Amino acid sequence: MPDTHFYRPNHFYQYDDYDRTLVGERVEQFRDQVRRRIAGELTEEQFKPLRLTNGLYLQLHAYMLRIAIPYGTLSSRQLRKLADISRKYDRGYGHFTTRQNLQLNWIKLEDAPDALAALAEVDMHAMQTSGNCIRNVTADHYAGAAIDEIEDPRIWCEIVRQWSTLHPEFSFLPRKFKIAITGSPNDRAAVRVHDIGLRLWANKAGAVGFEVIVGGGLGRTPMIGKTLREFLPRDELLAYLEATLRVYNRYGRRDNLYKARIKILVHEIGAEKMREEVEAEYAAIKDGALRLPVDTIEAIARQFAPPPLPHRPAVVAEVEALKLADRDFALWLKSNVAPHRMAGYRIVTASLKPAGAPPGDASAVQMEGVADIADAYGQGEIRVSHEQNLVFPHVAVEDLPAVWRALGRLGFAEANVGKITDIIACPGLDYCALANARSIPVAQRISNHFAELARQHDIGDLKIKISGCINACGHHHVGHIGILGVDKNGVELYQISLGGDVDFGKTAIGTILGPAVTADKVVEAVDALVGTYLDNRGDGERFVDTYRRIGAQPFKERVYAAV
Amino acid sequence: MAKNLSGDLSVASANRLVDGVVVFLDDAGQWTTRLEHAAVARDKRTGEILLERARAEAFNVIDPFLVAVTEDDIGRIEPVSLREKIRASGLTFDAIAADAVRYA
Repeated sequence: MPDTHFYRPNHFYQYDDYDRTLVGERVEQFRDQVRRRIAGELTEEQFKPLRLTNGLYLQLHAYMLRIAIPYGTLSSRQLRKLADISRKYDRGYGHFTTRQNLQLNWIKLEDAPDALAALAEVDMHAMQTSGNCIRNVTADHYAGAAIDEIEDPRIWCEIVRQWSTLHPEFSFLPRKFKIAITGSPNDRAAVRVHDIGLRLWANKAGAVGFEVIVGGGLGRTPMIGKTLREFLPRDELLAYLEATLRVYNRYGRRDNLYKARIKILVHEIGAEKMREEVEAEYAAIKDGALRLPVDTIEAIARQFAPPPLPHRPAVVAEVEALKLADRDFALWLKSNVAPHRMAGYRIVTASLKPAGAPPGDASAVQMEGVADIADAYGQGEIRVSHEQNLVFPHVAVEDLPAVWRALGRLGFAEANVGKITDIIACPGLDYCALANARSIPVAQRISNHFAELARQHDIGDLKIKISGCINACGHHHVGHIGILGVDKNGVELYQISLGGDVDFGKTAIGTILGPAVTADKVVEAVDALVGTYLDNRGDGERFVDTYRRIGAQPFKERVYAAV
Repeated sequence: MAKNLSGDLSVASANRLVDGVVVFLDDAGQWTTRLEHAAVARDKRTGEILLERARAEAFNVIDPFLVAVTEDDIGRIEPVSLREKIRASGLTFDAIAADAVRYA
């Protein structure tokens, strides 16, 4: 690979002195809190909310540090630092999550302040990755590169990040609050299943604004968000968000943990009443300090200016030859490489789902390897997808063979993005204090069973999503095949649902197929589902299309005959 | 091997404060990482006493609680629930190593 260690400016928001001071002070504040806890000056009851505010959870075997990766964007320098922290303070690997964060599962309390200080060196932190506040804002992982993009959503994610960081009014909401933003008509950020989803679009007059979708979410009571505003001018975003959060803060239920999310409020009072309340609050504040000045928007937008990409050929003889000579490369091009807004470039997804691997996990060496590839071929930039993969947003077509080979050396060149083994899975009962059943071993068995690439490509696009409990961190409700682990009298059982989807215009919550199956029958059940699909699919139909056309019954009959 | 499934056997467990590691209270009132060294309460009343003792020794651990266990003919104890088995024994799959580039 070319020399990779040279200074490269980032093409996303850079911390200023205010950000650095805030993060630095928070580290020292937490260091003192940890010292007092270990010295016995603070009880666990007093300390727990302080550590959670800094992203430090206590899981089954150890503390877990959840690190925020704003809008899923990382520089190579930041990724190397994450690798370094994982090696120095953890067990040398990390887990990329469906919220575009990184979780380190074996952090010691006494080391946590040093880990946070190391994060601060690269302008990162773990604030607001826990607690009833506005969490890390997520975005389309193809942002700034996608061919279908209207506007880079990360500009608005950053504006929301600055507004929501330590926002005093919204630090103790009824429950956690998740916002996702997409700038493309093809929704890769699952905006309809967030507390607030924002979709940038251009109206007939050519003006760009937001569709504001409120009250979506997964978990115990899955809901698809309702559109409160079809079109919101961009400079009014913060006032509208503030109005929405204020209404939620005022009326959201605090008497019942399971009914505290905004989706329950919207469901109980109805979208129309919610709209009325929000619009009334919005009318009172929209011309105040939250109306964004044009120069403020432009100043942030300039930081997300795309990297200067020189002209590169769109058709390259070596790429075409390799495509013919190597089946794995050809399959990789089909599944892991997406069009870029510039003809001579592509977006490349590094699959963190090699056969049999825990979905989303990467070792320190792998993280460093990805950082090296980003520097050599990808403008030093990496994205974390909510599907638990890593993305190089700007790779020249000419460099695709080299990137494929380099990823292959890391074990991240599996040509399975969007396929049956590109499984989303939460950490499950192996790590998580909330889980009822294991997720990762189930994902591993399915992955190994369907490992053969040609078969995966024959099956086509099929999203399996696995959660180890009803909190749905593995997004099982919106999997084409959703798998939910439950505990019945001490036995792990897995409930299967079909037909979930997050595609825009087709967003759907899956329907439970029937009785849950035992852990040792999950693979057979999935195999039966796939067999039913293959026997019934029409031309060009994906698994979920066939399911929609023929309904659940044929799938149900075959699964319960098999298990 | 016959197991005592009366449901009354228990040990006291917690997570160690400084690193979160799973620990069990032993007969000497010390916290140990080894389940086989844990003090076993053999009925509900003894379990309550064990938990009180664990709470009294909780300066360096977090939220002690009782874990239901079984015991086989040669005195080996094992948690009843899968959750506690995993807490006691660790991950049920091999995590990737820091220097690994491929998942084994």
